[in-house]
Amino acid sequence: MNRDGNAMAFIISLLLSLVLQAIALPDAITAFRPLVLAMTLAYWAIYAPEMPVLLTAWILGLCCDVLYGAPLGQYALGLVTVAYAASRLSSTLLTLPQWQGTLALAPVWALYVFLMFWIDGLTHHAADPLRRWLPLISTSLLWPLAAGLLGSIHDRRGRRGILP
Amino acid sequence: MNTLSDSARKSLFTRGPGLGLKFLFFAALSVALMIGDHRGYQHLQPLRQWTARILQPLLWAAELPRATANIGDHLRSREDLLAENQALREKQLELDGRVLRMEALEAENARIRELLSSAASLQTRVLIAEILLVHEDAYRQIVINKGERDGVYKGQALVDADGIMGQVIEVNPSSSVALLLTGLDGSVPVAVNRTGLQTIARGSGDGQTLSLPFLPGNADVKVGDLLVSSGLGGRFPPGYPVGKVSELRHPAGESFMQGIAYPSARLDQGHQVLLVWSERPTTAAEPETAANGAADDAGPNRHDADLAHQPKTARQKTAAPDKPAAAALPAAPMPVRPAPAAKTAPALPLAPPPVKRALAPAKPAPLPLKPAPAVPRPVPAAKPLVKPRPAAPMAKPAPAEAAPATADSAPAARPGAAEPTPAPAANPDASPP
Repeated sequence: MNRDGNAMAFIISLLLSLVLQAIALPDAITAFRPLVLAMTLAYWAIYAPEMPVLLTAWILGLCCDVLYGAPLGQYALGLVTVAYAASRLSSTLLTLPQWQGTLALAPVWALYVFLMFWIDGLTHHAADPLRRWLPLISTSLLWPLAAGLLGSIHDRRGRRGILP
Repeated sequence: MNTLSDSARKSLFTRGPGLGLKFLFFAALSVALMIGDHRGYQHLQPLRQWTARILQPLLWAAELPRATANIGDHLRSREDLLAENQALREKQLELDGRVLRMEALEAENARIRELLSSAASLQTRVLIAEILLVHEDAYRQIVINKGERDGVYKGQALVDADGIMGQVIEVNPSSSVALLLTGLDGSVPVAVNRTGLQTIARGSGDGQTLSLPFLPGNADVKVGDLLVSSGLGGRFPPGYPVGKVSELRHPAGESFMQGIAYPSARLDQGHQVLLVWSERPTTAAEPETAANGAADDAGPNRHDADLAHQPKTARQKTAAPDKPAAAALPAAPMPVRPAPAAKTAPALPLAPPPVKRALAPAKPAPLPLKPAPAVPRPVPAAKPLVKPRPAAPMAKPAPAEAAPATADSAPAARPGAAEPTPAPAANPDASPP
């Protein structure tokens, strides 16, 4: 039951993130659009390693590629990388307080942004480099909030006995 | 501490490949896909199309907030509505007047076309589409809600009320992806409206401006010149405003000038675009492409070839009567360039003279239509471009017709300016003398 609930939360949260990623924002803030999908995937990779995060990340990445008209596989690679890095970091992150965790994840977002930037460069889709790094700020700032929100719909009772 | 959480994370019996291996697998798969896609393997198209189809409800969901934001429209105050109604009525009157003239112009144009023995329809088919998604970052791409089912085709032009916006690059069943002008790959064959000089405008990659990389060093171009699409190559309909020159540089040691232009279309605003069916949608495989040395990548660049090899090709033009873009350039939709093309050459010497005379009365005529431009157009800067040559002497004879326009005769220059005068321009506008 608990597991089913979590699976529902997993799927719904990811679909919602995909919608948020696609939603139209005013021009002024669209450059600051946080990497919602990457955050959600990172959350599940860290707190629910039993979920098939890598596969999900890859499929959602393909969806992003199609949505954005990017070369197939670009966002897939980025999101899979984020999911992998987050799972590897999860043991560390679980022991850290929230703010330290936020700082520790910043390089992961940076890696993602850099990958996208790099592939865009390879496929001759140069863009303003400064604008490319803006999501890094917004994502880092929003991570505690996102983790809190996702934590509230994610039932972690099973682990509460073990974790401090 | 570490050990504790580690043990919490690991399940007792690990099954399947390890995390690192899975990651490598997916990463390799992504890279393979990217390479395949970049090389243009056709087998990947169905994957893309099916995914797009599956994502349709999601796009719809992403569209919801905007739809709900529009609910406010139902709650507008009566005064607002009345004021808007009034404004619309005035606007309609103005447009009605313009349409009346347009019919005369079309007839005129048809006759002149026959003279030039070039056949083309004036009617441009258009369709309004909603922008579903704007991808700001790298590609300057937008997703619109019309697709294959509505007859959208790859390469189709997109315009808004102020000018050309871009081009469809991918067609899905009920949505399509379009590249905006300022996207790096986009390029449009344009003509400087004042002089008729033809060149290529392409996106400069910063998402804001267009660059004009192929201007001869001695070209007659000024800051403020209006660029209209020239229609060469058949991809973009001719006569739509494309942008306005805002800067000209002459790099030392180069034989080419470089120009920067701002697009006329409001690429960042608005939710609706107009899809235009080109008069010759099938020109994608024009033979000149091969001869083109300057244009290295595919697509609109092939117009370079057109420019280089047949600079004076008889041009077709569209009156584009049914679209708001016409407002930006009252007379611009008529940049008929006489065509000293090989075939028509003999006919030409005959044709232009009457045309030229006809040009004169035409000038003042459109004025009445212009009087109270409700829209602040990009035109004012273009005004000084008035081509005094044919216009000035000839504008005189038509005072009778221009009479109603007297109050506003200042903008008279405008239609004149819009006329690319470089030659015995065939202005259909004219009533035969």
